[in-house]
Amino acid sequence: MRTDTPTRTVLMLGAAVVAANAAWAGQVRAAEGDTLVIARDMDVDSLDPGRAWCDTCQIYLNSVYESLVGLAPDNRTLVPGLAQSWDVSDDQSQFTFHLHPDAVFSDGSPVEAKDVKWSWERLRNLKGGASFFMDPVQSIETPDDKTVVVTLEAPNSEFLGIMNAPYTGVANSDVAIEQGANADPDADATDAAEPWFLENSAGSGPFVLETYRPNDELRLTRNESYWRDQPAFAEVVIRQTKDAVSQAQMLESGAADIAMQVDPDTAKSISSDEVTVEMVPSFNFVYVALSPGATGNQVPLTPPVREAFGYALDYEGIIDFTLGGEGDLQASPIPNGFPGTEGLPLPAQDIEKAKALLAEAGVGDGFAIDAIYPNVNVYGVDFSTMMQKVQQDLAKVGIEANLQPVTFSVWRDHIGGDGIPLTAVYYAPDYFGSGQYAQYFAMTGDSGWSKRAGTDRDPSFINSTEAELLAAALASGGEEQEKLYHELGLEMIKDRIIFPLVSPKLVLAYRDDIKGVRYSACCNLPLAELSRE
Amino acid sequence: MQLAPPATAAPGWLTLPVMVGGIVVAFWVVVALSVELWSPHAPLEMVARRLQPPSADHLLGTDALGRDVLSRTLHGARHSIPIAVVVVIAAVTLGALLGAGAGFFGGLVDDAIMRLVDVTLAFPPVLLAMAVAASLGPGLENAAIAMIIVWWPVYARLMRAQVLEVKEREHVEAAIAGGAGRFRLLGVHILPLCWTPVLINATMDFGQVVLLAASLSFIGLGALPPTPEWGSMISDGAVHFYQWWIAFGPGLAILTVVLGFNFLGDGLRDYLDPRTA
Amino acid sequence: MFRHVVRRLIAMPLLLLGVASVAFLLSHLTRGDPLASIVPERQMSNPAVVEAAKRRWGLDRSLPEQYVVYLRNLLAGDLGTSFRTKRAVATDIGERLPATLELVLAAMLVGTFSGILLGVVAAHFRNRSLDHGARLFALIGSSIPVFWSGLILLFVFSVVLGWLPGPGRLDARTAAPPFVTGMYTIDSLLAGDLRTFVDALYHLVLPAFVLGWAVMGIISRLVRASMLDVLSQEYILTARAKGAGERRVLLNHALRNALIPTLTIVGFSFAYLITGAVLTETVFTWPGIGSYAVDSARSLDYPAIIGVTIVGAAAFLIANLVTDLAYAFANPRIRLG
Repeated sequence: MRTDTPTRTVLMLGAAVVAANAAWAGQVRAAEGDTLVIARDMDVDSLDPGRAWCDTCQIYLNSVYESLVGLAPDNRTLVPGLAQSWDVSDDQSQFTFHLHPDAVFSDGSPVEAKDVKWSWERLRNLKGGASFFMDPVQSIETPDDKTVVVTLEAPNSEFLGIMNAPYTGVANSDVAIEQGANADPDADATDAAEPWFLENSAGSGPFVLETYRPNDELRLTRNESYWRDQPAFAEVVIRQTKDAVSQAQMLESGAADIAMQVDPDTAKSISSDEVTVEMVPSFNFVYVALSPGATGNQVPLTPPVREAFGYALDYEGIIDFTLGGEGDLQASPIPNGFPGTEGLPLPAQDIEKAKALLAEAGVGDGFAIDAIYPNVNVYGVDFSTMMQKVQQDLAKVGIEANLQPVTFSVWRDHIGGDGIPLTAVYYAPDYFGSGQYAQYFAMTGDSGWSKRAGTDRDPSFINSTEAELLAAALASGGEEQEKLYHELGLEMIKDRIIFPLVSPKLVLAYRDDIKGVRYSACCNLPLAELSRE
Repeated sequence: MQLAPPATAAPGWLTLPVMVGGIVVAFWVVVALSVELWSPHAPLEMVARRLQPPSADHLLGTDALGRDVLSRTLHGARHSIPIAVVVVIAAVTLGALLGAGAGFFGGLVDDAIMRLVDVTLAFPPVLLAMAVAASLGPGLENAAIAMIIVWWPVYARLMRAQVLEVKEREHVEAAIAGGAGRFRLLGVHILPLCWTPVLINATMDFGQVVLLAASLSFIGLGALPPTPEWGSMISDGAVHFYQWWIAFGPGLAILTVVLGFNFLGDGLRDYLDPRTA
Repeated sequence: MFRHVVRRLIAMPLLLLGVASVAFLLSHLTRGDPLASIVPERQMSNPAVVEAAKRRWGLDRSLPEQYVVYLRNLLAGDLGTSFRTKRAVATDIGERLPATLELVLAAMLVGTFSGILLGVVAAHFRNRSLDHGARLFALIGSSIPVFWSGLILLFVFSVVLGWLPGPGRLDARTAAPPFVTGMYTIDSLLAGDLRTFVDALYHLVLPAFVLGWAVMGIISRLVRASMLDVLSQEYILTARAKGAGERRVLLNHALRNALIPTLTIVGFSFAYLITGAVLTETVFTWPGIGSYAVDSARSLDYPAIIGVTIVGAAAFLIANLVTDLAYAFANPRIRLG
């Protein structure tokens, strides 16, 4: 039988397909040696150390730029970073840092005090996302090349912790200035270096930027001039992978070594025995908030009404629904494990009490409330799922929640304008210290959430003790500080504006041969500690 | 010897696909109108443990909030079918009126309307629908408005071409000579002859509108939770990928509805226009 | 006809200007805070930060002023800077457009060839089960929601069977080939890198199939109908009488004649595919223009939204023009314009 052309072609194509399959399969297994692949839904808004503000930015900044102070694996103890040692004045208002003599940038030039001063002043003057870190600072002096003296406006015992944040990383000022960066007071208008930072880095960290393709991948390579021990991996690739399921698949197939946002439900369905899944407590939390001062409130959200709200929620059920139970209750807006949180009363559902309080407040027949929330999925919690459960819970006491999921930008518009009667948000710590939570969540009248909740429109729920407690806490330390923060926590619970729903456990999902994977309170995932055995 | 075809043979256009299509569409319309009365479970309430695979009690399993997927899928018809009907009728009416006006009156009216058509048609449809829906805000009603805005130009063009062609025909000229007024001319002599291609297109478009509505909801621009709209249910299903049944029901529903309308549209075309069969 | 083409080409920039203006208006009228991707939640109530951001991105000017500034830049070829990526929109689009083109071209190839194959099979086995099967398969393609078929096929072929890789254009450990066209398959071939080529090809299979399935539907129908039409004509009967083999009759005569109208559909499909790409890219995390558009719309990234709309509309208009030309070329009786 003559095999004519079409049949021959088909046979050849078939052979090619088989060969290609083999080649591809071989390829995936082969190139594993030096490259670490991380699957993550990136939220990068900039790679400029003076402007970046995002979770993925923490990973990037921590690996490419370095801060003066480091954080030990116990997530509490401060260790030397770029600063070998430091002195703190008795009143906690002046900090003297001594830079490590060996510290050099990726181009070999030494890290000097002027670089620190320049980087921090630029951080403040660019008025970007992380500029508020420099708010406590009154002045920065550089008596010599390796010494930095920072004087604060007011005593702040948490300042060292703040200096641990990756956002305070130090950049090579000479290189950056050449590319159009500056730290002048009008830098927000004159600095033009952001595009350069999207393609290059100028830090002293263990990695340097290789390529960045927005929403596609972020590629880092080893810093050959790193002044400490070289990281184990020659290359780290963060691959944009939007959802938990795809991340889990990449992990199972070996296409990724670490998956960063697998939620507990998906984690349970990972069947491969080459993958390790750990659940560790985190300091992140998800909360709902009531805004008595929002213009859209149909009934006034008086204290008994707000208290009833707190009793209506089925906290355990919410954790079960959203995270399959892999989360912890949290008493106040200060995360579990932070100073002052020990012994705070955890929330519990009490439907009868809720109904009684509502009746007492004159709304026993129930009322409707608008619930506008960002339609996001963070820390493994799908907000739509969560809010629908909240809606069901509230319905049992007669409150009808009118759910409106919106995009983040629309949510911002609402919350920054008329306010939102009931909304849901999330929070992750900027550093290890409870001051930040009081500064953001306490109803002092000028904190971020005071304004949102509408204290300008309705000052009745301002809590004046909180500001005093905070100032005292920042000026003290140790046991005294714990006690003060504990009281602050109780006050914030009493405000009944912020209702933490859950502190989700962090899922660490990685292939068995990867070592060093852990959760870092400052920096998310320290890349330099990772290795493959 | 030529035998005449048996008197009881089915007409050429009534093929198996057309009948299947008709049954499927009829099924979904009946469901849309009546499911409230006989739904196995309430679509918005938690009736069982969450994320359960299909079982005797829950033929399509349960979703992330413990709701019965089958009931939600059936209830989805109450949103998708009426939206499709509203959008198609509105787009056809709006488009046909404007198109007929353009074709009939010509001149500046024609130019203005056609420029509007051109700009609208220059947008890739999904992008335009997205842009309008995004600017109006979430919700099925706003998604419907967005879809009407995307769809009317097609019918405008179609109608205008038809009107232009019919305008030249003899009986129209005769009517003009007979002194018929302009609107009488348009309404009585021209328009009735223009409907066929429009009707055919409209029937085929029902399916496309259902698809577009589901697409918008999938992206997050259509129905609000907890509305059991097929597109947003598939979006939920994507989040819970390993629980394949959550997306299966609504996906199958969309597929059958669109197929049904496509078959019907084919049949309608064969019926109205046997020449192009 | 030449005049018609020239007229359409001249009209294009004006149309695009209209599109840009509509996009500008729509995006600015949309409810939402464009600063959401620029000023973090933490700093929202800090007036200094908000003012600095507004100034930097030109959002402190009035709407008409912003429009004028935008138009001026546009006419100079500057599409502005994206609020999200902080890069020039032109750079973003330049990086992402080849990805979509690669996907659309692959989908067209898959759809066209499979469509022709299906059409031939259907015509050859007319009214037998293979015909019905092929037609049903094709019809499902044009009725199935792309984001659903994508999910299901991903599940079956990537998770359950493991035959094909997951979402994305390349395996994460594979670096992209040196840039020539931006299409990884072509670029890796040009660089002689067979492994990257195979990797890129494997990643292209599923999304291209999912996207091309609808095209398959339209084309297979057309091919079947044309072929049946031709097959019943006299000269075919003559060829058969002369003893030509069935396959030769099919391929040489019938198919050749069926190809002409098919070409016009291919052009029309291209335009349709550009829009179908939006959903496919979302499901497969394909870093193309479609997912860029969705992301920009979600975060109210004005410059990016308008930029993508202009590019999308331009591609759409060009595809339509080419289609109309091909149709006129194939059917000289049609007068254009």
